[in-house]
Amino acid sequence: MKTDHLIDVLARGAGPAERPRWGGKLAITVIVGLLVAAVLVAIGLGVRPDIGAARMPVMMKAMFGALAAAVMLPIAVQLMQPGRPLGWRIGAVAVFVAICAGAIFIALMGEMPERRWEAWMGGAVPWCVVLIPILAAPTSALLLWLMRAFAPTRLALLGAAIGAFSGGVGAMAYAMYCPTDSVAFVVTWYVLGIAVSAALGAVVGARVLRW
Amino acid sequence: MADEAHLKGLLLQGLAGDDAAHRAFLTEAAGLLRAFFRNRLRGAPEDAEDLVQETLVALHTRRDSYDPQYPLTAWMYAIARYRLIDFLRRAKHRVTAPIDGLEIGDADPEYEASDARRDVAALLDKLPEKQRRAIQLVKLDEKSVREAAEVTGFTESDIKISIHRGLKTLMRLMAQEQPT
Repeated sequence: MKTDHLIDVLARGAGPAERPRWGGKLAITVIVGLLVAAVLVAIGLGVRPDIGAARMPVMMKAMFGALAAAVMLPIAVQLMQPGRPLGWRIGAVAVFVAICAGAIFIALMGEMPERRWEAWMGGAVPWCVVLIPILAAPTSALLLWLMRAFAPTRLALLGAAIGAFSGGVGAMAYAMYCPTDSVAFVVTWYVLGIAVSAALGAVVGARVLRW
Repeated sequence: MADEAHLKGLLLQGLAGDDAAHRAFLTEAAGLLRAFFRNRLRGAPEDAEDLVQETLVALHTRRDSYDPQYPLTAWMYAIARYRLIDFLRRAKHRVTAPIDGLEIGDADPEYEASDARRDVAALLDKLPEKQRRAIQLVKLDEKSVREAAEVTGFTESDIKISIHRGLKTLMRLMAQEQPT
């Protein structure tokens, strides 16, 4: 078939087309992903026993996860459709990471020098690096499936943004379990957990998002 | 750029339901895409034309992904670049090397502008029956959606959805096709 003929075929009876509304779908996707992660925590890990007394740190950690997700969401939304620039949205991520580094530094300076290492590393295996990506998986899977329909063209980058966003959502759920409240520990390992989730998202996205 | 405002106007008119404007958009886009792909696939004008056709189907079936806040050409070339990268990845996995001499020689100016390697008409036959029938009636036999609905017994919206899905499937088939 010649190209001119193909153009005739495509244009004939094409009719109007509306811009898809994705806001509602996105909101439902995120709520479902968060609920599934919360159920996974409640069943698989168990909510921390002192959650009543530790309401404040749990809330703070959940807020931290929400903030990370909020910084990544505009990037994922831009990358969802072809030819949209990232601009200031990259700067927002840089500011977020800089604030994290500052928070870790200030928190560690507040500790006695001989206790700093323990406050940072927690003296235990930081399971959150593994568990946050696992809890992010439901949200990631739903978002990959949703955004694939919108003709993304930078697949690995969008996959990474989806992974990082979902990592933030996973961290919100993980906060219900996480027994450590040291600021330096939480910020360091949560950010690493989110980064692992982003890396997995990039690898999976490059394959799954093809259209 | 003159192209930008002009093309954007045509696409937006097309999105609003003006088929003639949409045809004009696709025709002008085809010219720009041809230059884009020939520049990057020197000495392989048939592959370039395959990509022009593949990208036109992509632009058409995904035209609702254009966000009027941003430049139209950025949207169009983002999709073109994506199809090109996908093509090169496929070419790398190919056993035979039909795109030998990829970097050698110039595009032949005498070359028939619209000769593609693959035959889209043959690919249409591979579509699921309902999609193939809807496309055949409306797109090739030039019947209206209403007439096609009467002939097949489907509803009009069923016909429209079948056509849209069929064209999306067609683009996937075009991408999978391994021209020899």
